[in-house]
Amino acid sequence: MPITHPFEYYKPARLVDALALLHTHKGGASVLAGGTDLIVWLKEGVAAPRALVDIKGIKELEVLELKDGMLRIGARATFTVLIESKIVRGKFPVLWEAARTVASVGVRNRATLAGNICSAIPCLDSAPALLVYEAVVVLQGPAGTRRIPITEWFVGLKKTARQPDEMVTSIELPLPKKNGGCYVKLGRYAGEDLAQVGLAILAFADNTWRIAHCAVAPTPQRMAGVETILAGKPLAAALISKACARAAKDISPIADVRASKEYRQHMAGIMLTRGLKAAAARLAGTGPAYGTSLL
Amino acid sequence: MNDLRVVGQSVVRIDGLEKVTGAAKYVDDLEFGPGLLYACIVESPVAHALIKKIDTRAAEALPGVVKVVTGADFPYKFGLYMKDRYIFANERVRFVGEQVAAVIAWDAKTAARAAALVNVTYEELPAIFNPCAALEKDAPLIHPDLGKYNYVPWFFPKANTNIAHWRKTRKGDIEKGFREADLVLEDTYTVPRYAHCAIETHAIVGLYDMSGRLTLWSASQSPFTQRNVIAESLAPLGITHKDVRVVTPYIGGGFGGKAGVSMEIMGAALATVVKGHPVKMMWSRAQEFYNTYQRQGVVAKIKMGVKKNGTITALEHTLYWDAGAYVEYGANVVNAAGLSATNPYKIDNIAIDSVCIYTNLPPGGPYRGFGYSEFSFGIESHITRAATALKMDPVAFRKRNAIKEGDLLPYGAPMNANGLAEAIDKVAAEIKWGVPEPARDPTKKIGKSLVLFWKAPAMPPNAASSAFLKFNEDASLNILISGMEIGQGLLTVMAQIASEILTVPVSKIRVETPDTDRNPYEWQTVGSHVTWGCGNAVKRAALDAREQIFALVQRVYCLEKDALYLEDEQVKCRTKADFVLPLRQFVIAGIQAEDHTYKGGPIMGRGVFMPEFASAIGDPETGQGGHPNVHYTTGAAGVILEVDTQTGKMKIRKAVLAVDAGKAINPDLVRGQIIGGLMQGFATVLYEDMRFSAKGKLLNPNFSDYKIPTALDTPDEVVPIIVETPQPDGPFGARGIAEHTMIPCAALIANALEDACGARITAMPVTAEKVALRLNQCSANA
Repeated sequence: MPITHPFEYYKPARLVDALALLHTHKGGASVLAGGTDLIVWLKEGVAAPRALVDIKGIKELEVLELKDGMLRIGARATFTVLIESKIVRGKFPVLWEAARTVASVGVRNRATLAGNICSAIPCLDSAPALLVYEAVVVLQGPAGTRRIPITEWFVGLKKTARQPDEMVTSIELPLPKKNGGCYVKLGRYAGEDLAQVGLAILAFADNTWRIAHCAVAPTPQRMAGVETILAGKPLAAALISKACARAAKDISPIADVRASKEYRQHMAGIMLTRGLKAAAARLAGTGPAYGTSLL
Repeated sequence: MNDLRVVGQSVVRIDGLEKVTGAAKYVDDLEFGPGLLYACIVESPVAHALIKKIDTRAAEALPGVVKVVTGADFPYKFGLYMKDRYIFANERVRFVGEQVAAVIAWDAKTAARAAALVNVTYEELPAIFNPCAALEKDAPLIHPDLGKYNYVPWFFPKANTNIAHWRKTRKGDIEKGFREADLVLEDTYTVPRYAHCAIETHAIVGLYDMSGRLTLWSASQSPFTQRNVIAESLAPLGITHKDVRVVTPYIGGGFGGKAGVSMEIMGAALATVVKGHPVKMMWSRAQEFYNTYQRQGVVAKIKMGVKKNGTITALEHTLYWDAGAYVEYGANVVNAAGLSATNPYKIDNIAIDSVCIYTNLPPGGPYRGFGYSEFSFGIESHITRAATALKMDPVAFRKRNAIKEGDLLPYGAPMNANGLAEAIDKVAAEIKWGVPEPARDPTKKIGKSLVLFWKAPAMPPNAASSAFLKFNEDASLNILISGMEIGQGLLTVMAQIASEILTVPVSKIRVETPDTDRNPYEWQTVGSHVTWGCGNAVKRAALDAREQIFALVQRVYCLEKDALYLEDEQVKCRTKADFVLPLRQFVIAGIQAEDHTYKGGPIMGRGVFMPEFASAIGDPETGQGGHPNVHYTTGAAGVILEVDTQTGKMKIRKAVLAVDAGKAINPDLVRGQIIGGLMQGFATVLYEDMRFSAKGKLLNPNFSDYKIPTALDTPDEVVPIIVETPQPDGPFGARGIAEHTMIPCAALIANALEDACGARITAMPVTAEKVALRLNQCSANA
């Protein structure tokens, strides 16, 4: 299937050149990293940029490092790079779990975390993990560097806080204190799928929690109401029921070809229940190994 | 037959190395040089409309465009069993995605850009997406000219309705059957549409050269049927059968989707307007979903009468098929189901109505199983429910009613020899039927099921196969057939059959995919019939060659022909122990006689097979009197299913299938079919789910949202079992097994689900979502 839309193609070697191109095209240029969404949109005629700025030649965007308690993930880091990183697996296992559920091996070899959050579709697997790790998105543009907390990043359906002439250069995750966590994803089968419900959970020793969702609202979000209910109390069946009741109120899933609203609602409760227990068990060192499916 | 040398061995497939190394060529791999043109079609955005105007000027003006054609350029009908289609829509479109026009250009991009510039004005008509709605009195007519169409003599269309064919099968006295019953059970089962999902999409390259030859390179299961349908359709252009050549390299899966003729006719027609230039068209994945054939949906109403002792006394089975916009092939699926919708049970009083109904969805057509998977879901669900209602063991119930050799089939002919009883016992033992198994987790429950299946090849009574077999100087062989290798291993099996008779090792036999100029006739590679039909032709060709060899040796050496035999590529004689004549010494060069002259010449075998006992003509009101099916292949299958009662997710712990292959010529290939068929069948029941908008547009023409299982979704254990009750007229006793292996899957899951947690689902697919919502509702009610 050919791409019929014409466009200019640039592959700058330096970040400044890439930013200059974005500025010159005044919003008419798209950044091309893995291209796993963009190329499909071009083929389908959904996207029609005047120019593509390919950032795969920019060395400085390759960074993946943990320094001074901060994990920096460069815009060129693919999901495969994250999955194969000992730091991500050891220190940010919920991001590792989520990365493993994104699409298929072939797509993960190309697709980047930065590109993923820029597409901002509601079923973004990486979003709940970034939300519970309280990530910060680092942008560069004509006005210099901007740092946007991930909670303020997703502003609407497929819409982010990025300006058209800005580019995500990295994503930063502060190293959390000791925790147990999980990413629970509902798919239609065990193979690769777009999430119908996604939940990331982090449990801390003081019985505080961070919980975030995707695919059950126009944007991925933290579930502050649920976190408050759970905070400071030992995890017991009655408390889990209360949390589930609150979660049901806080989400607004849609019905589409992937799942009905009713099933998403039903599964959000099941997944929260199983996820809370697994996160608590992992915190205690007794849970199933990271990567084990809870569904 | 007891000391077979090659037949019955799991010979490594002869095309294996070629395929795994990437040497095998598919249509898209072929090179056509710088003169190659590309075509792109203009598709209807609406499901039912009159075409008022087509403006092609803007498209024609685009640089790089060679030609734009519309339906008016080709006012010719085509179709396999009923000529109800035009090459491009003429006057009226009948489904979303239907071809209205095409652009031929120097490159694919220009063709696509120009296609978007073709401006078509439509006048929308009311559309029908539900077969039952299409039967209502005031329903709009999708084919107002149905009464004027040409079709085969075993179809019964009703003019001025949307009924394209109505197959009626009646046996015994249905009212008496219900009167004798202690229990009458009625329900309706719904099966949606499905897509084949072959890895390779449809592809065609057509070349109409300056001499008037039309050559087609086609991804097809049916080169000769394509030649015939295309030659008939394009006859007004002066094209005859001898002028059409269809070359079919390897294909990346067919499953029925590449049988008959669908998009390929456009490649043929377009070639005629750009003489001297090859023109190529390859379907996108989306087009593969909505503009080839789809497996037809069906609404099946079943009423069954049973006695307390478990005897089925009556079966009324009415099948309303959603056959789509065109039924040129699909109506024969409806016909096949109407002849066999009892499944392999002896039922004395039956009334089957299989009704083929036009709708404004994409054309229905052949798909592995050819109607049997569809009716199996209802009837095998119903059988388990009847047994349960009688408090009988569902397997004992099935054994009591299972058809036996000599029992009368629904259309009155006797059932062939079969190993159904053996298959049931072996599957029951393998899944430990009757032994409950504890679940590993309190949220999970385990259920078991066992169902039966059967299927006959659905083909015209005169569907023929033929083979040429040519010796080379070194006594190696080239076998020419037009049975198509579609992944099943046909080439290897044909080599084994020839090897068995001529003692030439399989490694010295080359069998390739067809070219209609070079290879002799084969009707189509469908219906799981080529091992049987084409295998018989190859066996006859080998016997013919052997006969020529023995006749020659007798003539030159004065040895009794009856005393001669072949061993290790040599002619030997039972009455003259020292006589040894290697084949390579004479199969091309002939044998030098005592006077130094040569006798004989190249040995070429010829074999033809046609089932001369078959007839499609029976009483239109009862179906009695004909012999439409050559034989049935039977078997049984079972599963152990684990259900998560919270999430609805199901995991198949064990799947077992036993099929009566008659004789497994290559047991590994049979086991491969069993495993593959089960996977495809489980996909249709657990995951695949075609969704249409209220306007008839397919919403999930992609693998993001039309789910076929991955390696992660396979059962924990699959046990293939081969049963061998010989088919008397099959090569070495063989009969087909390929489609059969997916047929039982839907009912297996539905029945095991009910066994596990009491939920009965009567509408496919049986997805985790459906199960969870049902169980949730159940527990809420409790």
